[in-house]
Amino acid sequence: MNAWLGETPKYLVPNPTPEDREFWAGARRGELRIQRCTTCGEHQHYARMLCSHCGAQTLEWVTASGLGTVYSFTVIRQNGVPPFDERVPFVVASVDLDEHGARVLAAMPGVEPGAVAVGMRVRATFRPASEEFGFVDFEPV
Amino acid sequence: MSRTGAGVRPDTRVSYRPPLVTRRNVCVVGVGLSDGPVTPDMTGLMLEAQAFRRALDDAGLAPRDVDGLASAGYGGMHEVMLAEYLGLRPRWLESTSCGGSSFEFHTLHAFRAIEAGDADTIAVVYGNNQLSASGRTLGTGGGGGRGFAMPLPMAYEFPTGLTLVGAYAMAAQRHMHEYGTTPEQLASIAVQMREHAARNPSAMYRDPITVDDVLSSKLVADPLHKLDCCVISDGGCAIVLTTEDRARDLPHRPVYVRGAAGATTHHSIQGMADMTTTAAASSGPKAFAEAGIVPADVDMFAMYDSFTYTVLVVLEDLGFAPKGEGGAFVADGNLRLGGALPTNTDGGGLSATHPGMRGLFLLCEATRQLRGEAGDSQVAGAEIAVAHGSGGWLSTQGTVVLATEPR
Repeated sequence: MNAWLGETPKYLVPNPTPEDREFWAGARRGELRIQRCTTCGEHQHYARMLCSHCGAQTLEWVTASGLGTVYSFTVIRQNGVPPFDERVPFVVASVDLDEHGARVLAAMPGVEPGAVAVGMRVRATFRPASEEFGFVDFEPV
Repeated sequence: MSRTGAGVRPDTRVSYRPPLVTRRNVCVVGVGLSDGPVTPDMTGLMLEAQAFRRALDDAGLAPRDVDGLASAGYGGMHEVMLAEYLGLRPRWLESTSCGGSSFEFHTLHAFRAIEAGDADTIAVVYGNNQLSASGRTLGTGGGGGRGFAMPLPMAYEFPTGLTLVGAYAMAAQRHMHEYGTTPEQLASIAVQMREHAARNPSAMYRDPITVDDVLSSKLVADPLHKLDCCVISDGGCAIVLTTEDRARDLPHRPVYVRGAAGATTHHSIQGMADMTTTAAASSGPKAFAEAGIVPADVDMFAMYDSFTYTVLVVLEDLGFAPKGEGGAFVADGNLRLGGALPTNTDGGGLSATHPGMRGLFLLCEATRQLRGEAGDSQVAGAEIAVAHGSGGWLSTQGTVVLATEPR
C-alpha cells in the first residue's frame, strides 16, 4: 500500500476538462460522482455531453453509493512507468456500479492479487492526487 | 449485465445488399515484405519503401501505375508524408487509423474504391522499426502517455497503472469466468503458432515450445504470460490491389477480394460492455455474406494474434467455434497446418513478426497461400482465406475474404 501513497508524479495528476472536473474533485472530497440521465434513467461514467445509452442531453450529477461488483480484473505484474514499477504486482478491476449502466475501471491498492475474483462485491475508496483532485480505488466489501 | 454505452453489442445485422450497378472485380496482384524482423539500420519509412518496391516488382507494376495510396502510422498525415517520400501523386488517399486492423479497413475501402471506379491501382503500405527504436516496452507502460495529458477515456485508465497487456488480460479473465476457458487452452494457441514459425526462416522465434513453456513464462498481467503476448519486431509490408481486367496481364494468379467489412464496439477496455464478444461478430458475418461463404468454407485463416486471447475470442465471433467453445477448438490443434483451420502459417505475431501493427502482414500471408507460394507452410489446395485484423484493445475489427475465384 505504501507505494500508492506519497506525492503523485506530475504526469499522473488529473488534468480535468470542463465536463469531468466534478468527478475528480468529488474523489478528493470522498464522493464517487457519476452522471445519471433523467430521460432513460441509466448512469454513465466517465462524464460526457450526451447520454451514451440514449443520446439525450439530460444529464445530472449524482453521488453513487460506491458499491459495485467486479466485472473483470487483472493483476499487473509488469509496468515500466514509475511509480507503477514500484507498485507491482497490483490489481486493476472493471467494476459495475450498483447504479445501473456505469462501469468504473480502477485500481485495488491494498488487495492481495489472489484475493480478487470476478463477481466480488467491492466499495469505492478515495486517494488524494493533489490539493484539488483525487483518485477512486476499490476494496473488497 | 451492466451496460456502459449505447452500442452495447456488436451490430450483427447482416446489411450487405447486392450492388445496383455492375461493379468491377478487385484483386490483390502484388505483395512485399521488407527485411526483418530486426533492422537496426532502417527507419520506418525505409521499411515501407522497401516493402512497396518489392510489392510493385511482385505485381509487375511501376510506381506510375499506382493512383491510390493507403497507410497508417502513429501520427497524423502519415500517408501524405509517405506519398511524398515515395514520389507518388495519388488521386485517392486513405488513412483510417484504428490500430492494428487499420489495414483491413484500408483494404475494404480500396476494394470499394476500385470496384466503383474511383481508383484503379491502390497500394496499401505499412512499416515500423518499433523494436530498434523503442525496445520491448510497448504493452507494459512504454507505449503509455507518460508526460502527456491523456485524452478521454485514457485519462481514467492511465492513472490506475493498467497496461495494454492488462486490458487484454482483463477481457481474457472474463471469458475464463463465463465459459471456463483455461490458461492451457490459451497457451495452445501460442504453441501452434510457434510450430508454424519453425518453418519460416524470417520468424523472430523458431524453437518449439510447449504448453508448459507458455505457462511457466513470466506472468505479465494475469492470466496472460509473456508467451501469450506477441513479439515486438521491426518490419514493413505492402500489397497492391487493382481491377480484374488489369490483373489478367500481370505475372501472378490474381487473388480476388470477395468480401470485406469493419466495425467497432468501444475504444478503451472500460467501454467494452461485453468482454467476451468483439465487433468481429459484426464484421465477420457481413464480409462472409458478401463473399458468399460460410466459416466451413475457409481453407486458411490469417488472424491478428496480438495475444492468445485475441485469437480465441475472434474465432468464436467469426463462427469458427460456438461462443464459449473456442478453448476446446484451439486445444484440439485445429489451428495447425493439417488442422481444420490452419492459422497464421507464417508463425503470426506471437512468433514471427509484429512491428507495432500487424494487420497488413495478414493479407500478405493469405495472398501467398492462395497463390500456392507458401512453400513448406503451404495449405494444399487453398482456395478461400480470411484475413482478420483486431485493433486497439479489441476495439476495432476488420475482416477481408480472399479467394482464388471471383464471386
